[in-house]
Amino acid sequence: MKTWIGILIRSIALFFIILMAIRIMGKRQFVRMTPFQFVDYGVIAILGALLSVNIITNLAFGFIALGVWILLPIGFDYLSLKSKKFHDLINGNGTILMKNGKVMEENLKQLRLTGEDLLRQLRSKGIFNIADVEFAIMETTGETNILLKSDKKPVTSFDLGKKVGPKSEPQTVILDGNILDEPLSAMGLDRGWLKTKLDGMGIALENVFIAQVDSSGDLYIDLFDDAIQLPQPKVKELLYANLEKSESDLYTFSLETQDPKTKAMYGEHADRMHNIIKKLETYLLR
Amino acid sequence: MTVGAKVKQTLSNLKGAKGTLRAYSIQTQDEEARPIYEEAVAATDKVIKDLEERLKIIEYEEPQYKGY
Repeated sequence: MKTWIGILIRSIALFFIILMAIRIMGKRQFVRMTPFQFVDYGVIAILGALLSVNIITNLAFGFIALGVWILLPIGFDYLSLKSKKFHDLINGNGTILMKNGKVMEENLKQLRLTGEDLLRQLRSKGIFNIADVEFAIMETTGETNILLKSDKKPVTSFDLGKKVGPKSEPQTVILDGNILDEPLSAMGLDRGWLKTKLDGMGIALENVFIAQVDSSGDLYIDLFDDAIQLPQPKVKELLYANLEKSESDLYTFSLETQDPKTKAMYGEHADRMHNIIKKLETYLLR
Repeated sequence: MTVGAKVKQTLSNLKGAKGTLRAYSIQTQDEEARPIYEEAVAATDKVIKDLEERLKIIEYEEPQYKGY
């Protein structure tokens, strides 16, 4: 057999074997890998390359080596799932760089990190002032994660004491002018609904690049033709404004009318509207 | 604008709002929001009913402004 045919067949076979192996080994990204995992992938790549161009002439030896480097990490991953101790033995633990706002110099020395390295890590996370840090830890992947002091943390709606309406993920219902039925039915809607909505806005289906439905059932649309101005869904804001206007109208009526009974009726209803608007605010405006 | 016309305007406003609220109460995926929307529909409905009653009285008292 000619050499080139051998190499061709070997290469194609190895291509698929290694493709499968890497797929099975997981979805980790390069930056999220521990140094050892990086070495492991490197060895697999090199073994694959050497086998493929026939530098390792003995196929069996090559595949034994390749099998060890592929199967051992998979086996170790399963064992790590079972046992925390084993996981720590293989992957190590994160190292605490800062605690209670103080730098742990001993741990830095252990990692052979200088103060400048630590500052650079913090800066890469957008923290220039070391006084803002409560806690920092270097993960086994070499990534640094930081907990800010509680008064330096970004404000959440919880901090503001405001309730926020829960929003689940929106569903994409049109892509490239094609209706996607599965997400539509997941929202409990159908093509008929979508067609009515599009007709209502005066848009042809072919002109829609992306359309998404949010959890409250509002439709957001992006068109191929960017010259066309589209009204974006402001139904909720409008509804809120409408209710507020009605409330103020009722208050006005209750002030204007002379009849005490009617006055009371208007007042009561205005209060009722006021309460309901307060409750709806969470869902309509946020 | 007469009182009757003003009440009518508020009434139509409320009816529109009620319709939108009802649509939301049906189409929302969020189980927490649904009862709130339904409560809002019920509340606006009460207000609408009383306003309609009041409108009848107003039109009876000022028949010259009856109609739209």
